[in-house]
Amino acid sequence: MKRKDTVKLISTDEMEFVIDKDAAMVSQTIRNMLTSPGPIDNWVFLGGFAETELGEVTFPEISAVILEKICQYFYWALQYSRGKETEFHIEPELTLELMMAANYLHT
Amino acid sequence: MYIRVKRSKTTYFIQCDPTETTLDIKQKLHTLIDQPVNDQRLILMNTGDILEDSKTLADQKVENDAVVALTLRKDDNEFEDVNIVKPNDFYQSRDTDSGNW
Repeated sequence: MKRKDTVKLISTDEMEFVIDKDAAMVSQTIRNMLTSPGPIDNWVFLGGFAETELGEVTFPEISAVILEKICQYFYWALQYSRGKETEFHIEPELTLELMMAANYLHT
Repeated sequence: MYIRVKRSKTTYFIQCDPTETTLDIKQKLHTLIDQPVNDQRLILMNTGDILEDSKTLADQKVENDAVVALTLRKDDNEFEDVNIVKPNDFYQSRDTDSGNW
């Protein structure tokens, strides 16, 4: 695990989640961001990914509770794709915001 | 599997294996946060147990998706207390960022 292989996702309440790029790229939206050069509309890029060791992405519209669940989903999806078929538990009260975030992230 | 290592406002998702030792995890953290392994202490949150360097995760009942607190050695050589910032309450936060998706 190297620092350049990770990405830091920051929620609207300024909580930070450091995850592997592999996991983050489960999201098509994040994948596009990691593979395109400049800032895109409201994404905050602190330095381009090619130049800096640690990329940071701020999600001004996603709360920490939801963002953490999304990160858990990324890792679950990676494990699932490697053949470890388990269930992914979602608390009922999170479903609506989680679906909106998933739509946003193309996940 | 992965574990969630938390300190202050930051959560590190660390991919690992049940056969890896606590020291292996600390070395992974070292690459992320530049803190020497000797200055790190890991605590399994649901039991409060301090994880020992030489033992494996499986030995210490650290399972997939477990939450582990990271504390660092302070200037006076003691370890700091567990400090994890909890996210704002879900329902409170809804009012402030009222869904302009």
